[in-house]
Amino acid sequence: MALRNDNLWYKDAVIYQLHVRTFYDSNADGIGDFPGLTQRLGYLQELGVSALWLMPFYPSPLKDDGYDIADYTSVHPSYGTVQDFKTFLNAAHDRNIRVIVEMVLNHTSDQHPWFQESRSSRDNPKRDWYVWSDTDTKYQGVPIIFVDTEMSNWAWDPISKQYYWHRFFSHQPDLNYDNPAVREAMWQVMKFWLDMGVDGFRLDAVPNLVEREGTRCENLPETHAIIKDYRRRIDLAYPNKMLLAEANQWPTDVISYFGLGDEFHMAFHFPLMPRMFMAVKLEDRKPIIDILEQTPPIPEICQWCIFLRNHDELTLEMVTEIERDYMYDTYATDKAMRINLGIRRRLAPMMENDRRRIELMNGLLLSMPGTPVIYYGDEIGMGDNIYLGDRNGVRTPMQWNGGWNGGFSAADPERLYSPVISNPVYGYQAVNVESQRRSEHSLLNWMRSLIQTRNLFQVFSRGSIEFLDPSNHRVLAYVRQLGGATVLVVNNLSSSAQAVELNLQRYKGHIPIEMFGRNLFPRIGELPYLLTLGPYQFYWFRLRRI
Amino acid sequence: MFLAFSSRAGEQAGNLAEDILLGDDFIRQLMSVGEVDLLIGIPSYNSAITIAQTVRAIEESVHQNFVRDRIVIVNVDGGSTDNTTEVFLESDRRKAFDRRGLTSLRTIHRVSWQYGKTPSLGMAVRTIVAAADLLRARSCAVVSSTTIDLTASWVTNLLRPVHKEKFEYVSPLYARNRYEGLLSRNLLYPMVRAIFGLRMREVYSGEWAFSGRLAAHYLDQDVWAEEPVRARPEGWLAITAMCSGYACCQSFLGQKGAPTVGGVDTVEAIRQTVGNLFWCMERYQEHWLDRVGSQPVPTFGPEHEILNNGAPSNPEKIFELFRTGVAELEPVLASILTQETHRQLNGIASEDAEKFRFGCELLVRALYEFAASYHHAVINRDHIVQALVPLYRGRLYSYLLQHAHSSVEEMQADSELLCLEFERQKPYLIEKWNAKS
Amino acid sequence: MKDLIIQGIEQAYQNLVHMLAEFLPRLVVMLVIVAVGFLVALALKYILRGLLRLTKLDRLSEEAGASHVLRMAALPSITELLSQSVFWVTWSGFVLIGVSVLGVAGLQEQISRLFLLLPAIFVAILILFLGLVTANFLSRAVLLAAVNAGYRSPKLLSWSVRVLVWMFAISMALEEIGIARQTVVAAFSIVFGALMLGMAIAFGLGGRHLARRFLERLLGQKEKEKHEEPQPL
Repeated sequence: MALRNDNLWYKDAVIYQLHVRTFYDSNADGIGDFPGLTQRLGYLQELGVSALWLMPFYPSPLKDDGYDIADYTSVHPSYGTVQDFKTFLNAAHDRNIRVIVEMVLNHTSDQHPWFQESRSSRDNPKRDWYVWSDTDTKYQGVPIIFVDTEMSNWAWDPISKQYYWHRFFSHQPDLNYDNPAVREAMWQVMKFWLDMGVDGFRLDAVPNLVEREGTRCENLPETHAIIKDYRRRIDLAYPNKMLLAEANQWPTDVISYFGLGDEFHMAFHFPLMPRMFMAVKLEDRKPIIDILEQTPPIPEICQWCIFLRNHDELTLEMVTEIERDYMYDTYATDKAMRINLGIRRRLAPMMENDRRRIELMNGLLLSMPGTPVIYYGDEIGMGDNIYLGDRNGVRTPMQWNGGWNGGFSAADPERLYSPVISNPVYGYQAVNVESQRRSEHSLLNWMRSLIQTRNLFQVFSRGSIEFLDPSNHRVLAYVRQLGGATVLVVNNLSSSAQAVELNLQRYKGHIPIEMFGRNLFPRIGELPYLLTLGPYQFYWFRLRRI
Repeated sequence: MFLAFSSRAGEQAGNLAEDILLGDDFIRQLMSVGEVDLLIGIPSYNSAITIAQTVRAIEESVHQNFVRDRIVIVNVDGGSTDNTTEVFLESDRRKAFDRRGLTSLRTIHRVSWQYGKTPSLGMAVRTIVAAADLLRARSCAVVSSTTIDLTASWVTNLLRPVHKEKFEYVSPLYARNRYEGLLSRNLLYPMVRAIFGLRMREVYSGEWAFSGRLAAHYLDQDVWAEEPVRARPEGWLAITAMCSGYACCQSFLGQKGAPTVGGVDTVEAIRQTVGNLFWCMERYQEHWLDRVGSQPVPTFGPEHEILNNGAPSNPEKIFELFRTGVAELEPVLASILTQETHRQLNGIASEDAEKFRFGCELLVRALYEFAASYHHAVINRDHIVQALVPLYRGRLYSYLLQHAHSSVEEMQADSELLCLEFERQKPYLIEKWNAKS
Repeated sequence: MKDLIIQGIEQAYQNLVHMLAEFLPRLVVMLVIVAVGFLVALALKYILRGLLRLTKLDRLSEEAGASHVLRMAALPSITELLSQSVFWVTWSGFVLIGVSVLGVAGLQEQISRLFLLLPAIFVAILILFLGLVTANFLSRAVLLAAVNAGYRSPKLLSWSVRVLVWMFAISMALEEIGIARQTVVAAFSIVFGALMLGMAIAFGLGGRHLARRFLERLLGQKEKEKHEEPQPL
């Protein structure tokens, strides 16, 4: 393996999120697979990403895009075999790309053998592996997550004539983590993959592991204890691994998942994400500043994971009602774009295909504190299809070229797991990897350059952040520092040219060097530093004292 | 005072900005703000005690009703010595996070500037208008920094007609105590109504809202250096809107009491308001000379309300001042009033205090003669206005006596009669106005 | 002796004729100068009248209250007054020139002294006029302010101001002309000083309450007074 021995690798990573099904189909069955993904590792290495986060590829009835798992230690036949996965994993490691896989702890598919056994009778040994109740009145007041489809967190099982608890879809019964057997079974699952060599787990829906009466059944101390136990075991036997929490909570609630550095290594900063979109639309940095000022410090070895879009809807749970209404009115005017308190659109359509805005958002993503996650396809500005139901609109096949099925698969188009985007603006003929590779100033090449620049300076991944407070609220400016390295980032959030005076007296005498062109800017003096920026323009300056 | 402006797309803009009216520091602050949808101006002078509450009311209104709009609150200060501007900039800055830990959607800017070393409302308003022009504000309001009754709903009620409906000038309406605002009720409102033909009650009060187009129109006028406008710009602003065909309306704000800080005394109030009114009559004579009757103005919320509380202190003193005034100012009044009117005035001045009545007919005739004398400048114009004070006191005393036990309805009916008398005698005013001096 | 007397008489007669012969041309010249002067003065008067009518000086004077005073003094309007003054001054000038041509000894000196005095007289008249206007304006302003503020005896205050300003103006005018300079200055100082002292005593002793109210107002306790009347706006 070419991987570095680095137990903090996740801090410096640029993560690329994809579903194997969407990426590349090697056997013309219309569905992406691991051999196909292995073939495309070169592209990913070229892009400059250092880790892949794979969405669930386990056997599953696929009623929730694979998050309803029917077998934890296998690979869905459509995507290949376990051996195919191993091949892929080794190939990725050879290219210095680590692999993070999903671990859905909270629930299984109702097709999982465990549940089949559990529901078969009340006396079954695995009965207690799930949460059963005679009534559906327990745990009152716990909110429903998939509000558009579910009416209750309890579902009636006609076989064993009891209710079972499910925080998500009704076909995803929750495992009972009060049962040590369940905890042990899941540890065995994790061990299976860790032994194979995966570098980390994204633990899905982790706040919901444990239920207690009179609570929201989220973020309970028992949940933390379970995770800490897993972490301890991983640390003992498997060095350089990483646990990533999916906890859609306020920062003050999420930090509990870091523990004292003995729980999760990373957690998503959910509330920041919609505020980045809001700030660009409002042309006002306030939403970003507000949320980051409220974000408490985390243990030294931990890291926030930040992102623009992902496979789910752009969640608007962690915003106020006023903010939600604003986001809907500005980014999801068509009701078909809305689902479950969120917006099911990709980055490029939300930015109205405005190249400058797309660049600005990516610039923010890659310069703010945290490990960035790039959602597959966003590096070429892929579009979405809001009419595909659920959140499938943002999970369409990767667009490789302008040819058959966008180069994704040789199968009949009708056989594809999902239609390829084909409209004149975002369709595969207009937006694809091959054309962008050939075009020097394409978004793809720009992204490569951006990632490359970021990777050169550890200050972005590990440095501190200090926000400047210029009186022009349309400019978001901050200073990142790590040791002797100082980087000044200035972002124009507005659609018009701006002038801004920055108070950089502390850095008096430094020379700003613009990091992409490497040109020198005037030395910082006593007076406020005047900069002018074009619409949505941003600068990364290295401040050197010479 | 609330003035709502919005600025045009800048073609004729720059009249004020080019006068180097706005200092560099102010321009720099405005630069940072950028284009806004709403600009709210607060003129101030030594209002540190009350300005924090004003700002709070504005921000609360914004959070509730104009949450997506780009807002700036501009404080223009006339050389305060009690840290008014510091209080304005810093009050409630510590973020009051709500349950989710968040505040408003957008940055609400606060900008402050000292326009001079002595307070001048005209200069303050002009600065606000210029700022609105530079920032291309769609609507603007000017609020008094000393109105302690100002609440968030006041701000909302004032701004909504101009910002969300299609009106271009919004005048406030209040619920007043029965013995307050009597200059407005007995002189200013009836006279404005009769002369300019619009039933706008509070032309000389503390709060207004303007539309954008109107602001640009104001900026084009070359009157800001005139003393009546420097002292009391709001009257000229309202009358200009009325005479220039802009859609005017009134909006009920709430109950208004007396200001705790810096209330104006009667003499000064009359000098400024009546002086301004006469000056406006002079300036806009072609608009009102052939206008007959009056039209109601669209109103949001209840009409002007009179509350049944409060009692005046020392009304006898007021009568004494009237009587002495008429006697001592004999030569001055003789050069302003006609012989007949003067004789009648002397007549009522010799009546007993208990039976005193200053009838509508005589009052209106006298006021119109004052207006005509002002027009012909029979003596110094400011002196003419000052000579009006005893007459106002006489009317005030008569009104207090007459309505000591009246119901609110009776008071309102009497006010309406006075208004009709003003309208009825307008031809007399026109006759005196046009007479050769 | 008879011859001497006749000779003497003849000599005297010849001297007289000689003197007359010398004087008469000068007299004629004087008369011509006077006549020309009359015409010039008349022309100037009409020109000035026309100009002043254009500038509406009457209106200004009316506003300032000077016309009123002039009317009370049975004087014509300001335009008329100035025009007439110019007429008389011009013609007087010519008359004086004519008289000087006569060559009467001693008279020349007096006439030149009179000429030198003319500008001063003009300035003095101007001072008096301005003083008149100012006195009127200030006294009325004081009257109005005192009446409206409710002071006792506003007329007295107003009249005092008027007298003071008049005195000031008269003193300045007399000083300008140069009549009894020292006396006038001294008298003015004495009267002015006495007046001030008297007012101070009266104000201080008799007007204690008034003084207190004035100071209270000055030091910002105006609210107490204002609440005697209801809020007008």
